[in-house]
Amino acid sequence: MAKIALTDVSLTFTVHQRKRVTLKEYLIQTVVHRRSISTAVSVHALAGVNLSLRDGDRLGVIGHNGAGKSTLLKLLAGIYPPTVGTREVEGKICSLFDISLGFEPEATGWDNISYRAFLQGESPASLRGKMDGIAAFTELGSFLDVPVRHYSAGMMMRLAFSIATAIEPEVLLIDEVLAVGDMAFQEKAQARMKEMMGSARIMVLVAHDLKTIRKMCNRAIWMQQGRVMGAGPTDEVVDAYIASVTRTAAA
Amino acid sequence: MIQNLTTVWRFRHFLLALVRLDLRLRYRRSILGVGWSLLNPIAMTIVFALVFSKILGGDDLTRYVPHLLIGLAVWGFLKESATAGSRAFLQSESYIRQSPLPLGIYPLRVVLGQAIHSTIAIAVAVVVTLVYQPYQPEPTDPLAILSIVPGLILMFLVAWSAATIFAFVNVYFQDTQHLLEVAAQLLFFLTPIIYTAGKLVGKAWWWLELNPVQIILELIRTPLMKGHPPTADRLLAGLYLAVVMITLAAGTAAWLRKRVIFHL
Repeated sequence: MAKIALTDVSLTFTVHQRKRVTLKEYLIQTVVHRRSISTAVSVHALAGVNLSLRDGDRLGVIGHNGAGKSTLLKLLAGIYPPTVGTREVEGKICSLFDISLGFEPEATGWDNISYRAFLQGESPASLRGKMDGIAAFTELGSFLDVPVRHYSAGMMMRLAFSIATAIEPEVLLIDEVLAVGDMAFQEKAQARMKEMMGSARIMVLVAHDLKTIRKMCNRAIWMQQGRVMGAGPTDEVVDAYIASVTRTAAA
Repeated sequence: MIQNLTTVWRFRHFLLALVRLDLRLRYRRSILGVGWSLLNPIAMTIVFALVFSKILGGDDLTRYVPHLLIGLAVWGFLKESATAGSRAFLQSESYIRQSPLPLGIYPLRVVLGQAIHSTIAIAVAVVVTLVYQPYQPEPTDPLAILSIVPGLILMFLVAWSAATIFAFVNVYFQDTQHLLEVAAQLLFFLTPIIYTAGKLVGKAWWWLELNPVQIILELIRTPLMKGHPPTADRLLAGLYLAVVMITLAAGTAAWLRKRVIFHL
């Protein structure tokens, strides 16, 4: 049984115009000059989102850039905590976004496979059986013995994708269609994703390609400026979205 | 907090694999390898032993050398844990952006690595002490040496807590690490590491009572140097210190845990 429930979730975060201040600057500004150093701008990334998904649900998330789609995925994955409201997710999560982050550059491909697999909750025993499968899927061969810092971006993606998709997730979170490596690998990756989309209990897919959404999803939400503008069966929501976009374009 | 600790335990394979990697990278490309972790305290000991005993005419060497080796090993562990630990979140940013693990796991990675690194220095200190037999007065029990264990455990907990607190502070203020280096420099000379507590006379007693490094150091030095377990009130002081540090670390984590991701 997998389940996702978001109740009145809002997410506000502060973005700093300057990356980080030093304690020295902070003290001088606030204590000596009595001035606030804060250059923070608060961003309302999500506002009052309600969502409830059960086994078998395939949710497509559509909307303009900056509508809060990716933020929603990160919140579902547990990376962004909600500012208000509650998030409840049951089931083993597999997130297919930001996957090329977090390799240990000095370690070999093999080692990185195990680090990432452990991060996804594998144990040395359960990994042993999967290691060869993962390695074979990357098609990196003897490059796996080389430290990851020598890899090209495409090789990194191959490695990341092969590991990320090696577990059988109950909740699958995907951001856009990943551009993975060369043409041949692209096809293989698409096939693997289809397979995962079929076997996962719940899927949430963020994509701009409305055809994919219509094909893969049975439900959809349309987001705009962090709010849910419409939710329901895929075709209804997608049609409403297209109508709104053409209306704006005409006006 | 309990829930976070069980999660850390569930992800122990991840944690330990990274600790192993850190150690491998640390000792790689050097002929001395693990020997590096010995070179620093031993070189320091030789220099201080020469300066203090020969030039300044200090204590007798059979007491001074073990005193110094233990002091430097404990100090090295605490200092490195705090300063390297303060970088933990920045260094692990990509994991934090990817996975909702309890944040304490990242300082723990640093502190565990330091602990293994320091084990060698502490072992050397113990062996040297056993050879020199600096007990004064006579040892009550040869097994008293085992009574350093509570001290080591408390030391680890204090180091993990300190690393966690500074890791959070460092996310907000980027000069934390440099300030820590300066503070460590001062604390090094304000703690009886290269000299003995007996040299601090008169009104300085309160400083010895409150200096966190000294509280820990005494728990480890007493069994080795005097051959008897630390007294109950010293153990209690260590326990208080650990409780205060853990509470501070857990409090900081509870307060800032949800915000760190937006500041990285």
